[in-house]
Amino acid sequence: MTNIIGNLLIFFSLSSSFASVYFYFKKKFSLFLKSYLLSCLLCFSSFLFLIYCFVISDFSISAVYQNSHSTKPLIYKIAGSWGNHEGSMLLFVCIIAIYGSLFFYSSKNIETNFRNLTIFFQNILKIIFLLYLFFLSNPFDYIFSNPTEGLGLNPILQDPLLLIHPPFLYFGYIGFSLVLSLVLSGLIKNFFDKEWASLSKNWVIVSWVFLTIGILLGSIWAYYELGWGGYWFWDPVENASLMPWILSVALIHSMLIMEKNNTFKSWTALLAIFTFSLSLFGTFLVRSGILNSVHTFANDPERGLFILGIIIFIIFFSLLIFILKTNFTDEKKNVVFLSKENFLMYNNLFLIFFLLVVIIGTLYPIVLATFSNENISVGPFYYNTILAPFVFIFLFLMGTGPMMKWYKNEFKSKVSLIVSAGLISLILVLVSSYIPKKINIIYVLGLFFSFYLISATIYEIALCNTLIKIKQNLGRNLSHLGFGLLIMSITLNSFFSKEYNFMINLNEKFTSDDIEILFEDFKITKQSNFDQFSTKFKISKDKETIILRPSIRKYNQPEQLTSEISIKNTLLKDFYLAINYSSIGERRLIGARYYENFFILGIWISSLIIIFGGVSRLVFRK
Amino acid sequence: MKYFLITIIFLFSFETFADDKINSKVIEISKNLRCLVCQGQSINDSDSDFALDVKKLVKKNLEEGKTDKEIYSYLKLKYGDWILYKTPFNLRTILLWLLPIIIILFGMKLIFRRTKFE
Repeated sequence: MTNIIGNLLIFFSLSSSFASVYFYFKKKFSLFLKSYLLSCLLCFSSFLFLIYCFVISDFSISAVYQNSHSTKPLIYKIAGSWGNHEGSMLLFVCIIAIYGSLFFYSSKNIETNFRNLTIFFQNILKIIFLLYLFFLSNPFDYIFSNPTEGLGLNPILQDPLLLIHPPFLYFGYIGFSLVLSLVLSGLIKNFFDKEWASLSKNWVIVSWVFLTIGILLGSIWAYYELGWGGYWFWDPVENASLMPWILSVALIHSMLIMEKNNTFKSWTALLAIFTFSLSLFGTFLVRSGILNSVHTFANDPERGLFILGIIIFIIFFSLLIFILKTNFTDEKKNVVFLSKENFLMYNNLFLIFFLLVVIIGTLYPIVLATFSNENISVGPFYYNTILAPFVFIFLFLMGTGPMMKWYKNEFKSKVSLIVSAGLISLILVLVSSYIPKKINIIYVLGLFFSFYLISATIYEIALCNTLIKIKQNLGRNLSHLGFGLLIMSITLNSFFSKEYNFMINLNEKFTSDDIEILFEDFKITKQSNFDQFSTKFKISKDKETIILRPSIRKYNQPEQLTSEISIKNTLLKDFYLAINYSSIGERRLIGARYYENFFILGIWISSLIIIFGGVSRLVFRK
Repeated sequence: MKYFLITIIFLFSFETFADDKINSKVIEISKNLRCLVCQGQSINDSDSDFALDVKKLVKKNLEEGKTDKEIYSYLKLKYGDWILYKTPFNLRTILLWLLPIIIILFGMKLIFRRTKFE
């Protein structure tokens, strides 16, 4: 019964979407909008209904049967509805609809033709994915055998962050669908100008804020769930979320130029088209399973191919409109050397470069394997080596660019400011190079350039003498400041952090350098969905003692072991202990990894500052 | 049984010749090696039997005074380039390393063409 209701909701949502297309071509715009809103409403209802099916554990629905279990806590029943392929696709379509409806409600006083066509395109995107969902990955598929119990949710996903990480990420990715619709309809309706840029920029920033939060949450989750001590692994799926992020930052900056002087239009259009394409590409990579990744919990190569088809169709169609409708003559204007536009162009160049490095690093092994049967691996070593020198230059440009003037070269008048920011950074670097016993070039340069960006941005903030100026520039200043702090924290983290791996028995001690780790105690407890083997470790260093209690869980549905790490956060560093399950048994021998991770808190806080920058740009928009 | 032996050896090796320098070197090297039986994990991050075997092997080689280079090339010989996260620069990876540099130079040329110097 429930599967029929779910399918009907999706079917009627599709029908009213098609009706909306029909009314658009018949120029009955009031009906067009009404049927569009109805289709969105039906789409939300189907998603809420899916959550309901998960909550009541209706195992006649295949998605529920495969990803849920009646003994699971309520939040994982709810979150489980998007912790699988079908459910996450329904969430995907729902968010396309949410952005469409939000645009509808917030755009009542903009040009009607442009507005209608934007909603029309948003509707088309919704139809494409709804068709895919309905025929190829239907969350309401029925199971005839009528099972009494479900298979349960992957224990690694049973974490409160499952409730918020995927939705944030999706709100980020899919926000760019609206940006794509805005570009296409702007191009067709000749509305692609300054005014378009200042309207659309807000939507780009909204999506960017969500995407940044999504990536941050994913990073935090990986940090405490995987137990490898790190927060970023250059994993293909992480890269897939980083790619649209980088491109959207480039898009925001190129929109600044377009908003100011009505140039850079075709470049902005291209960036917008590819930002959404890359968001989809990320979904494709996660779903297809063509990559060797830690995220391979929800994939199916065949359906991945269909997503690839959809991406190719969307790119092809968008580029077609772009080529037919763009007037390239406005692009011939030259830009003054060292003006603000010039710096923004370099911003775009560097961001595109970073993006291409990530793309090349991710795809090169696949291409090579296809053509030569040679398998190579690309990992952190490649990214760090290639990216580091350019990130340093980028930091310098990022600190200097905002000081520059539009249209003219007034670099000379700012030289004293640049030099003094450089001097301050130099002093700070000298001080911080004094602390460790030995230093390396990456440490020195990384710190110098991030200090430069931080001090230059603080100058910028200090130069704002009126409240209006402070508000207007707050978005940029916070984001830039946060980025400087982020690179600083990453540099310090990678330089100071330490790691020890060892095997240990109860009541034994591991000693190394100046630390002493004692395996003091253990106990076994039972919870509703898992049994837990908890340990107690005492870590002594410089007369300081801390207790860490990592554990191993044995989940019963599905039966799987997971390792739960134990962290003690301090302002300066995290004490982090993970134990592994491969060696427990009668002998009680434990494999342990102990990390001292520096400036992790700094990494989270600076990311938050970057996010606040985006939010304050939305709050104090002109 | 094999695994049991490894853990015993591992346990004793740490207790008897706990050498901090070698241990941190093992970590450094095994971070640059892919765990071949895992999903996108380095040898250092993995607790699989395979990863433990390789870590043990690296440690043994270091204790015998072998250099990093010798260890990497031995592993490469045995398992192929797939195991090296530290992507080498050679004929097969030349584009991987040079393409980004070509791209940024080309981009700079494009910007220069559209810049007026006053």
